Amino acid sequence: MSQTPLVEMIGIEKHFGGVRAVDHVSLDLQPGEVVGVLGHNGAGKSCLMRILAGAMIPSAGEIRINGTAVTFDDPNDARAAGIETIYQTLALADHLDAPANLFLGRELKTRFGNLDDARMLEESRKVLARLNPNFKNLTDPVSSLSGGQRQVIAIARAIYFDTKVLIMDEPTAALGPSETAMVADLIRQLQAEGIGILLVSHDMHDVFDLCNRVVVMNKGRLVGAHGIDEVSKDDVLSLIVKGELPADWSARNLEAVQ
Amino acid sequence: MSQAIKPASKRASTPLASVMPDAAKIHRLSALLTLLMLIAGFSLASQAFFSVNNALTILLQTSVIGLLGIGMTLVIITGGIDLSVGSVLALSGVGTAMAVKAGVPVGLAMGLGVAIGAACGAVNGLVVTRAKIPPFVATLGMMLMARGLALQLTGAAPISQLGEAFGRLGNGALFRMVEMQPNGFPKVIFPGIPYPAILLLVVAVGATYLLRRRSIGRHIYATGSNEEAARLSGVRVNQTKLYAYVMSGALAGLAGNVLMSRLVTAQPSEGVMYELDAIAAAVIGGASLSGGVGTVSGTMIGAFIIGILRNGLNMAGVSAFIQQIVIGAVVIGAVWIDQMRNRR
Repeated sequence: MSQTPLVEMIGIEKHFGGVRAVDHVSLDLQPGEVVGVLGHNGAGKSCLMRILAGAMIPSAGEIRINGTAVTFDDPNDARAAGIETIYQTLALADHLDAPANLFLGRELKTRFGNLDDARMLEESRKVLARLNPNFKNLTDPVSSLSGGQRQVIAIARAIYFDTKVLIMDEPTAALGPSETAMVADLIRQLQAEGIGILLVSHDMHDVFDLCNRVVVMNKGRLVGAHGIDEVSKDDVLSLIVKGELPADWSARNLEAVQ
Repeated sequence: MSQAIKPASKRASTPLASVMPDAAKIHRLSALLTLLMLIAGFSLASQAFFSVNNALTILLQTSVIGLLGIGMTLVIITGGIDLSVGSVLALSGVGTAMAVKAGVPVGLAMGLGVAIGAACGAVNGLVVTRAKIPPFVATLGMMLMARGLALQLTGAAPISQLGEAFGRLGNGALFRMVEMQPNGFPKVIFPGIPYPAILLLVVAVGATYLLRRRSIGRHIYATGSNEEAARLSGVRVNQTKLYAYVMSGALAGLAGNVLMSRLVTAQPSEGVMYELDAIAAAVIGGASLSGGVGTVSGTMIGAFIIGILRNGLNMAGVSAFIQQIVIGAVVIGAVWIDQMRNRR
């Protein structure tokens, strides 16, 4: 791993009054790597992801992208650096249609600065077709779409632009089995393209299926960062619940190495 | 949402899915139908109602509600409300009149009046976005402050004798044709299109363009639809809201100039409760007080429904008190229809 990491988060802290939501956490991500971020609700993983997405300003710590220190004051800064986020809530404006949501905040415009709705519709059609060939309701408000279709719009928005880092917060929570498989395929495809992915998930199966590494947070602190081959599901569960590996882990791991 | 229980994959083929986006249009169509029925009803009830002169009177009366309503629509779409427009209207009119009295040319003074309105709107916007005060409270405060300032500046007395030029905006008309009769009295062949009506049309077209074709318009809808989502998508929601309040204030200032010019007198106590007419116009026209929904064309229909109700009830000799009851019922009815639509 002599390569410069795509993302380095160093000593990140976030305090709310006396509460340390994120307590001196460091994390890095290589190009083409999928890192699972696990932990209980309230363990601080969403906070950490929001900080990287520019939606939250850290109390302390440094973020480096390709080795260069950056500061994100709002989500636009993070997006400009190639960091896209798929939020668990999907962050869609219900009254707008799919193209309007896809291009929200970075609308395509004509020469006179007017909205270029025709081109946005065409581009949306292309990127949505790649994710779901059956997607047809492009001019309906997204409130009238199914959970899966809404998820597809949120994913499309994250991969359409020049993405280098993708943060996925529970991307399959609202999906059925076939759509979940589609997302898994997509993650592998993006990984092959050299995009770094942070996958926040509760689904142990997905994590072990897709991730190269896992990091586990507990009460705001990073309690474990392991290659996916070094740990079992029980080990990870122990990290999530107790904040530490099982007592016999190092012994077992030594045996495995020998 | 009875279709929601069907499997997701079948959603695309449900008939309701293709009808849903037209619900807003249906609402506007029903408002338009109401408008036409009102016109027909009042025409039958009173001979004088259906005449060119009365139509122009209605245009004139509605232009003030219309201007306020357009600004209100922008604010309501962002999920806010502006209760200060009636007072800001008075303060702007008073400001213009005082400038005219001080010797400032009328055009420039009116520009100043609009700027005063925009400044009030900017204060509203900043209080809402920076101090995080709910719009209802923030603009209620501005409603009191602007009214108080207008009364304080004038000693609660109207400013009159403002000259002919001051009255031109409110009383002038385009294509007015007058013929001198042999007996020395002028005969009006065509009363002309009142300037306030032309102004309203220009503002309505401009605001529609803004909402439909510019990114600020899209951001206004997105902010009202889901503020957090808009923020995470990179929309500068605070600037977007500020923009809406400034526009509402500026249009209130413009409406104030139109109204005071029509009276050729600046009345610091003018425009009380006008904010309610503006809100009613927007809501009757299909704007949703929970944000994300509303159109300028709908608000125009709403403004004319209120204008024609007022005018027609007056013509039919219905007392002002009964008029309030009727308009109140219409507003509740419009919101009820809106809720039925959303519940479906």
